[in-house]
Amino acid sequence: MNPAKVEDKLAVNKFDIDKEVHIRIREDICKKCEEHYCLYACPASCFKITEDHITFSYEGCLECGSCQIVCDKEAVDWALPRGGFGICYQYG
Amino acid sequence: MKQIFDAIVVGAGPAGCACSFTMAKAGLKTLLVERGKFPGAKNMWGGVFYGPTLNQLFPSFWQEAPVERYIKRHRLSLLTKDASLSAEFTAKKFGKVPYNGFSLFRAKFDRWFAAKAEQAGAILASGLQADDLLWDGNRVAGIKAGGDELPSSAVIACDGVNSFLSEKAGLRDKLSPRDMKQGVKEVIHLPRNLIELRFNLSGEEGIAWEFIGSFTRGIPGGAFIYTNKESLSIGVVVQLSTLAENKIEANDLLEEFKQHSEVATYLAGGKLLEYSAHLIPVAGSAMMPALYTDGFLVAGDAAAFTLTTGLTLEGANFAIASGLAAAETVIRSKQIGDFSQKSLSYYPELLKKSFVLKDLKTFKKAPHFLENPRIYSLYPEIACDLAEKIFTNDGKPRRKIWKLLRKSMERKISFWQVFRDLKKIKKAL
Amino acid sequence: MDIIVCVKQIPDPEIPPSKFKLDIESKKVVPPEGIPPVMNPYDEQAVELALRLKDKYGGKITVLTLGSEATSSIAKHALAMGADEGIVITNKAFEDSDSFSKAYILSQAIKKVGDYDLVLCGRQAADWDEGLVGSIIAENLGLPLVTLAEAVDVANGKLKVKRVILDGYQVFTVPIPAVVTVSNEVGRPRLPSGWGIISASQKQIPVWSVDDIEADSSKTGASAARRKLVKLFIPERERKCEIIERETTAEASIELVDTLIKAGAI
Repeated sequence: MNPAKVEDKLAVNKFDIDKEVHIRIREDICKKCEEHYCLYACPASCFKITEDHITFSYEGCLECGSCQIVCDKEAVDWALPRGGFGICYQYG
Repeated sequence: MKQIFDAIVVGAGPAGCACSFTMAKAGLKTLLVERGKFPGAKNMWGGVFYGPTLNQLFPSFWQEAPVERYIKRHRLSLLTKDASLSAEFTAKKFGKVPYNGFSLFRAKFDRWFAAKAEQAGAILASGLQADDLLWDGNRVAGIKAGGDELPSSAVIACDGVNSFLSEKAGLRDKLSPRDMKQGVKEVIHLPRNLIELRFNLSGEEGIAWEFIGSFTRGIPGGAFIYTNKESLSIGVVVQLSTLAENKIEANDLLEEFKQHSEVATYLAGGKLLEYSAHLIPVAGSAMMPALYTDGFLVAGDAAAFTLTTGLTLEGANFAIASGLAAAETVIRSKQIGDFSQKSLSYYPELLKKSFVLKDLKTFKKAPHFLENPRIYSLYPEIACDLAEKIFTNDGKPRRKIWKLLRKSMERKISFWQVFRDLKKIKKAL
Repeated sequence: MDIIVCVKQIPDPEIPPSKFKLDIESKKVVPPEGIPPVMNPYDEQAVELALRLKDKYGGKITVLTLGSEATSSIAKHALAMGADEGIVITNKAFEDSDSFSKAYILSQAIKKVGDYDLVLCGRQAADWDEGLVGSIIAENLGLPLVTLAEAVDVANGKLKVKRVILDGYQVFTVPIPAVVTVSNEVGRPRLPSGWGIISASQKQIPVWSVDDIEADSSKTGASAARRKLVKLFIPERERKCEIIERETTAEASIELVDTLIKAGAI
């Protein structure tokens, strides 16, 4: 039936992906972090963990701001994509 | 083409559109800046909007605005893993003009609302991001956007829950995940007739169905299903801090909710149209930023004007009302030629007189009360368990309901604790 | 230098594949709900090239587009980037025109604009990919044509056009006025500035119809079309996944190569 995984759900959304990355994470801080709240707070599963390494892909970002708010170590440099780029809701 | 605006409004949501509409109508040179490709492109909500505030601005707005269905039925369900207990309310009144609430989509509604502001004379600049504030000493003197400096007498930040501008203006600190709820939502297509059949609706009638229960695994929050013309809006809204601390993703809760036997049948055969997410500021007056400074005002979600009463989460009317109050303040400032902090202190005065600050004050204690995890798992469980005992016919002699309740509560919670929680309801709600 | 740029509105190429729908009966693309059309990306590069010439030599950029009044948002995007004027040409009689008719309508509109040194078009439209309009305009107006340009400059009162070819480029010198179709090698078009968006938002976009451009409506519309669309469909794509497991990597590799050769993939 319908997709249950976030990645597949995002595939039906319309994005105008900016070539400039709008969110960066500070890996030096993430390496030392034990909680990794970002992994669970991101509704678009943009954060992934491999061994002890956090990676972030901005393409599916829904621009909600959860990651920056939930990170208590200020490791997420959060900005919005440039005007006209990013998620473009048809319904909302 | 360079010019100085009387007011720059950042964000074409309900607050920004109401604000620019009112100022432009009063003859102020108004610029409405929207970072989305079009107004609404970045915005989402659960999907039910209550109309009275907008009806004052645009009488009978539902005749022209892109509404989906009017809400005729309200239903509340308590869910446990394998049971559910529901209450439904419907009134003839809800099916008649001026109606009570509507389901609608932000991508369509905000575009309509912004067009209203444009028709009133506001300049709409879509696809333009306000990157920073323009300062003249300690006074906000405009914004920086698209590589240009755009000067204005007043800037009204209606830039939503993450309001960068109010942070840059020094009006608020970093947001706390405890004060935030995360909403994730799916829009699911279903044929019109199937929606009407499944939800017992006819014509343009709709239902707003709220859920609390085990599917949030004790995390403060709930779920909803709202009917649109040819789709359902279905989502969960949960506290951000508890979500992350418990290492749970909102999407997993949404999936669990969708698969609940009581819910799944309503969705069967549906096709996903969109997946969206948003934060909602829920701590009310406790998290409210300073509302103004020299040449600068904050309205809508940016000012955390959202009312939480447990069953309802309401922001749009507060956004519109605060946008109107901000507009009125700036119009007055323009008349007296004074945009200083002192002059703009008229804004909270207006808000105190309107329902915006009154309601937030009335429900000041609600956000804290609603963090009580018992509301989301234990009480629904007890209620369902009691209902099951009442409705089960096992051929044995019946017992009094009171005794059944005591049995349902056994080893789960004391009467004393329930009494204390009830006492808190009185204060909070 | 005065430049006319012809731009086309197309369905947004970023429409998620699951939402791209065709009406097989009417042989048309069904516009997805809530996703407005955008400017053809090749045309956006033509606007960019025009703006570079304007930056260097001054002059005026006029943008022409066919469509409905709602199309003015496409013209406004060009204005926001820095073009000076936008005109929408629209009429019932123009609906369902093929590339020949569209080029005819645009040629008539170009004649009405009058003074110009250069007409720019995108190399093709990203919806139908025919790439005809620019060439037919040149033919209609009796002007020199250079296709697939990546840069244009002025030298000794003539245009110097750098044309992309496989593994290199050619340079043409052509008299003014001329028609040039623009290739994607031009590079990324500029983003609109703040003031650009604001002034575009305030501008009125004139709408021209059949009479305004003195067009013969028998040369336009579905009945005049030389290109007949026989069938429109979304090709079915099949995906298969096969996992090759062998004792050693070497054996698996050999098996993989054999499989790929058999499938005609290598």
